Amino acid sequence: MTSMKEATTRKSGGFSSLLKTLPLAPFSLVFIFFFCWPIFQIVKNSLDQGKGHYGLSAYRLMFTKPYMHAFATSLQLSFFSALTAGLIGAVVAFYVHRSSAGLKSTIAMLSGVLANSGGVPLAFMFIAAFGAQGGIVTILKKLGFDIYGAGFTLYSLTGLILVYSFFQIPLMVLVFTPALEGMRNEWREANNSLGGSNFQFIRWVLIPVLFPAFLASVLLLFASAFSAFATARALTGGSVGLVPLVIGSLIDGNVITDQANLGDALAVGMVVVSGVVMLFYGFSLRWARGR
Amino acid sequence: MRKHFALGAVAAMVVAILPVAVSSASFGAVKASTATSVKDFGGIAGLVTACKKEGKLNVITLPRDWANYGEAMDLFSKAFGVKIFNDNPDGSSAYEIQTIKTAPASKQPDVVDVGVSVLDDAVGNDLFAEYRVATWNSIPNNWKDTLNAKYYGDYAGQIAIMYDTSIPLAPKSIKDLLKPEFKGLVAISGDPTQAQQALMSVFAASVANGGSTSNIQPGIDFFKQLKANGNFVPVNGNTANFAAGAYKVVLNWNFNGPGTVAAAKQLGKDVKFIIPSDAVLQGTPYMQAINKTAPNPACARLWEEFMYSQNKGKITSQLTSADLKLPGDKLFAAILGGQNIFITGGATPIEFPAMVAKKLNVAPPASITSYAGKMAAVTPSQDSQAAAKKILVAAWPNL
Repeated sequence: MTSMKEATTRKSGGFSSLLKTLPLAPFSLVFIFFFCWPIFQIVKNSLDQGKGHYGLSAYRLMFTKPYMHAFATSLQLSFFSALTAGLIGAVVAFYVHRSSAGLKSTIAMLSGVLANSGGVPLAFMFIAAFGAQGGIVTILKKLGFDIYGAGFTLYSLTGLILVYSFFQIPLMVLVFTPALEGMRNEWREANNSLGGSNFQFIRWVLIPVLFPAFLASVLLLFASAFSAFATARALTGGSVGLVPLVIGSLIDGNVITDQANLGDALAVGMVVVSGVVMLFYGFSLRWARGR
Repeated sequence: MRKHFALGAVAAMVVAILPVAVSSASFGAVKASTATSVKDFGGIAGLVTACKKEGKLNVITLPRDWANYGEAMDLFSKAFGVKIFNDNPDGSSAYEIQTIKTAPASKQPDVVDVGVSVLDDAVGNDLFAEYRVATWNSIPNNWKDTLNAKYYGDYAGQIAIMYDTSIPLAPKSIKDLLKPEFKGLVAISGDPTQAQQALMSVFAASVANGGSTSNIQPGIDFFKQLKANGNFVPVNGNTANFAAGAYKVVLNWNFNGPGTVAAAKQLGKDVKFIIPSDAVLQGTPYMQAINKTAPNPACARLWEEFMYSQNKGKITSQLTSADLKLPGDKLFAAILGGQNIFITGGATPIEFPAMVAKKLNVAPPASITSYAGKMAAVTPSQDSQAAAKKILVAAWPNL
């Protein structure tokens, strides 16, 4: 298959193949200037020790306790946020998929909006609702549920997972719905006519078919949580150490001249983690398409 | 997010190329961007004319209720017909320096007001212009760049505890804040690795807990404990978060008292400022500086002359249209000077001793709180602030 394609391209000549790739030029430019170039700069700066010296001092510092702890916290937050939002979002997507067309398009539109909410306004909204003196917290307290008394606080990892759910669940609904659209009614009918129970249908048909797409979606959520910055910054004032926040304080704080390249090294660390996640994302997508 | 970033970057690149020519425009024989004193303009009148021609001033991170900056901006704007753009009023000192380093030319601030801990970085990167205001000799030598006049102290305050009077227990000391009555109530103003006020708050906590102005660790331990027992709310202690009820107690400069009390009243809340009984922390003065690449170099210099003016005079609401027709130097003399505006805002202006000697100081507002006890006020040195921030960068994220 591939070799045939290559053969036809070669036959059609250089000029027309140039014409075919020309529409890709704007994308390539954006890709080079806003993806490749910044990454190159970050890597270069992370090695720059000032005064013309290059070396790995920033990386040695990166592998010390406080910064490794930041990576651990970030990974933890991203993992739990992706998992909870992924599970809830998948269930929501499943029920939306089975509902009427009108509701479906409303939910799709709503998800599109909510999935892109975030940043300081979102944080502020949650502070007003779920802060220690927040509206919802006060109402719950009057009803006899003192959630802060029970140890909950918005300004912790748990709180961040709650806040991130606000854009993560809609994002899950958006990215997972197409996989559900691929489901055939006939499969359920076949299961039923062969005497299979609902449980068996879910266990032996639904889950195996949907799992790769689910995994791909969750990885996407993971990446989205891993890179979020403004929401966490507004909620924790830098007191929960996430990698993007530490980078922010290294850039903005700008107090430690001999550690100027540490922020860049941490950014390279994030690029590596994101790269690994995207690699798995690619695998699970291929897996999902493969069946 | 990524998309927005890309668009922003393109816009930034386009904008960055355009105004280079404009920013170095000269006024007659005077080149405003290299003027080192008002003499270069032939006096205040010349400077006012040059600034009126620019008609714009970019300031940065000036909250309106901070040391009465709201009045200062309104007065300057009305008197000289200058449009003031105030970028990110709640931002930190570090943000100001970062903006000079990275913003496109037209978005550059003309003047900054920063904490001393960012000075090394700013001066090391040669970001500031040399300028001596007319009242230069009234600024104490230890709080200005005597050699090159790249920065100069402007005002200082003491760390106070502000609290909403509706809370069950009124705090008297910083240590009080550990009590269970303050669960979920206590904030500071931002991230101490970035904001001077937050850094000084941690220093105050340190002093209150057996530390000193050269040892910040007890302060960090205090906030660790405060967080562990659920009293600490890590949001920025600004007006919006206060209105949302995110916190009810905050460590704050005493000079933010009058503005904050008024702002809280509008929200239907009653707040009080007290100096804690276990730490009297006198802040190092904030520093004024002119950006070397200021897009409005004449207005930048007029702003500094205005902020260091010791004149008694009219405030915004008292200015008449007849006043506005006065020649530049007469107008400048008719309005309340910045040093006195700081006093009306509850801050101690840097030229205060000189003003008292000449009886030029106005009366501070009755609502201002300053310490009347016997404990000596302490101030962390510039070096110990730098050392503290180095510790905080690693310690604060793991609080």
